[in-house]
Amino acid sequence: MTFISAEFYILLLFVVIAYFAIPLKYRWTALLMGSLVFYIFQGIEMLPMLLAATAVGWLSGLGIGRVYSDEGQGAQEAKKKAKLVSGIGIIILIAVLTLVKCTRYMPESMAAKIIVPLGISYYTFSIISYLIDIYRRKYQPEMNALKFLLFTAFFPKILQGPIARYDKLANQLYEGHRFDYRRTCFGLQLFLWGLIKKLVIADRLAIFTGNVFGDIPRMSGSMLLVAAIFATVELYCDFSGCMDMAFGVSQIFGVELEQNFKRPFFSKSAAEFWRRWHITLGAWFKDYVYMPVVTSPRMAKILQWAKKQFGARVGKSLMAVIPLAIVWILTGVWHGTGKAYVVWGVYWGAMIIASQIWAPEIKKLSQFLHINTEAESFQIFRMVRTFGLFCIGRIITIPNNLHMTLQIFRKIAFEFNPWELVDETIYTYGLDWKDFSLLMCMFVLLWAVSMLQEKGGLRTRIAGYNLGFRWAIYYIAIIALIIFGIYGPGYDASNFVYMGF
Amino acid sequence: MEEKIYELLSEEFPEIDFKESDTLVDDGILDSLTITGIIATLTMEFGITIPYEEIIEDNFNSIAGLAKMVEKLSS
Repeated sequence: MTFISAEFYILLLFVVIAYFAIPLKYRWTALLMGSLVFYIFQGIEMLPMLLAATAVGWLSGLGIGRVYSDEGQGAQEAKKKAKLVSGIGIIILIAVLTLVKCTRYMPESMAAKIIVPLGISYYTFSIISYLIDIYRRKYQPEMNALKFLLFTAFFPKILQGPIARYDKLANQLYEGHRFDYRRTCFGLQLFLWGLIKKLVIADRLAIFTGNVFGDIPRMSGSMLLVAAIFATVELYCDFSGCMDMAFGVSQIFGVELEQNFKRPFFSKSAAEFWRRWHITLGAWFKDYVYMPVVTSPRMAKILQWAKKQFGARVGKSLMAVIPLAIVWILTGVWHGTGKAYVVWGVYWGAMIIASQIWAPEIKKLSQFLHINTEAESFQIFRMVRTFGLFCIGRIITIPNNLHMTLQIFRKIAFEFNPWELVDETIYTYGLDWKDFSLLMCMFVLLWAVSMLQEKGGLRTRIAGYNLGFRWAIYYIAIIALIIFGIYGPGYDASNFVYMGF
Repeated sequence: MEEKIYELLSEEFPEIDFKESDTLVDDGILDSLTITGIIATLTMEFGITIPYEEIIEDNFNSIAGLAKMVEKLSS
């Protein structure tokens, strides 16, 4: 059961009715029941792992809370014990996550016995952040195990995130919300837009990219380049579409999830891109890996030693290199355990590190070449460059085989036939001219909506239109979804790309 | 102390006017990479370790906040 299955809409209807029918104080129980049913539909065999991870998080949280509440010991002693308790909990969670992520390196007979629970990366990271925050005394542990289970299992976000933080989500879940017509309309609008991105754009592009990347040795460089660009937009529409749906469903219940995307293709640099793409993952790594490394006493010693030996510039460079290298290797491994993902992590890390270390040289070069870095044309160039960098990243991970990746780059560089782009060859990979025309219209719509979102208040603006015009927009969107969505036998629309993490 | 830190950071990050605002973090003038650069500069200059607990907006929002933090960690 996903956001695009009939069972989901039936479940959602039941949960909405139950949620608003019971007293405010108990409304969270409707969300909990709905979340458990939703997860059981994914496969009941995955439920024990979710419950076990939740139990580890909840018990460890209580343990840390108890250590801090014992006033008979000194602050340092309490901190040491709290570190031990949180450390044990985190090690168990990471060990389980690593085990299920590394099945590809196990003998087949052993790997077959391991169940990979959907959404494990997302809920594990949420629980780890909870434990670290309690250790840092950011908030008190949750005393109610069922409420904590709702935090880990809340159905709109369990399969693909966003990676929830306890302090930002929990109270919203536990306090009951009254029905709000305007909020519900906003939620349904966003859900509808997410569906369009997924079913009309991403799943249509997936037909082309699947056919092209499914037979790399026989493809020309031009087709591979188009497929790489399409795969980039496909991933964005698939993942951000799912996030729109999750956000929209949550909004019906008065729950605001954290933003996971902020128009990433408007980014002008790699660093900015990762502040706009999968925001909650980046924020997680920043708060729980990057900043702890930056502020560690060992890092301070390395900097002071480097300054003495080689000068301040080297010290500063090390500060840019070490924490980012650690974060990006881990980010790569989070996405997948194959070598391609490690290379992908190193690629992004190197890009961001280089832009940090060589910032003064890049600035001098721009001045030397008399480039007006403030000009609009240069800003557009930077956006296109960032998009290109992301396309390269996609080429690294799509085949999940570095040999194939190199073959794609070689073909794009040396077997590029521009005539194929205009002689109708492009229509032989599953999409005809009508599909391409529709896609071009959708790209323009996507860009226009993104521009309006960037300026803020798109949904408020729609809500401000008169009733007739507003409903005309909704009907057009629904009809477009029904007519242009990719459905039918032989095509499984239910798989979201990021659901496997 | 404030003047010294101002000179140091202005030399290191000439594109940022550190006296422009006393809500540098809240206004988005300092992002996490810039904050890392500031931590590196102060760590090397004053031989201090800036622990995680000190990475709060109050300390990084202004030169005065940074100076106060450095003085506390130096003592």
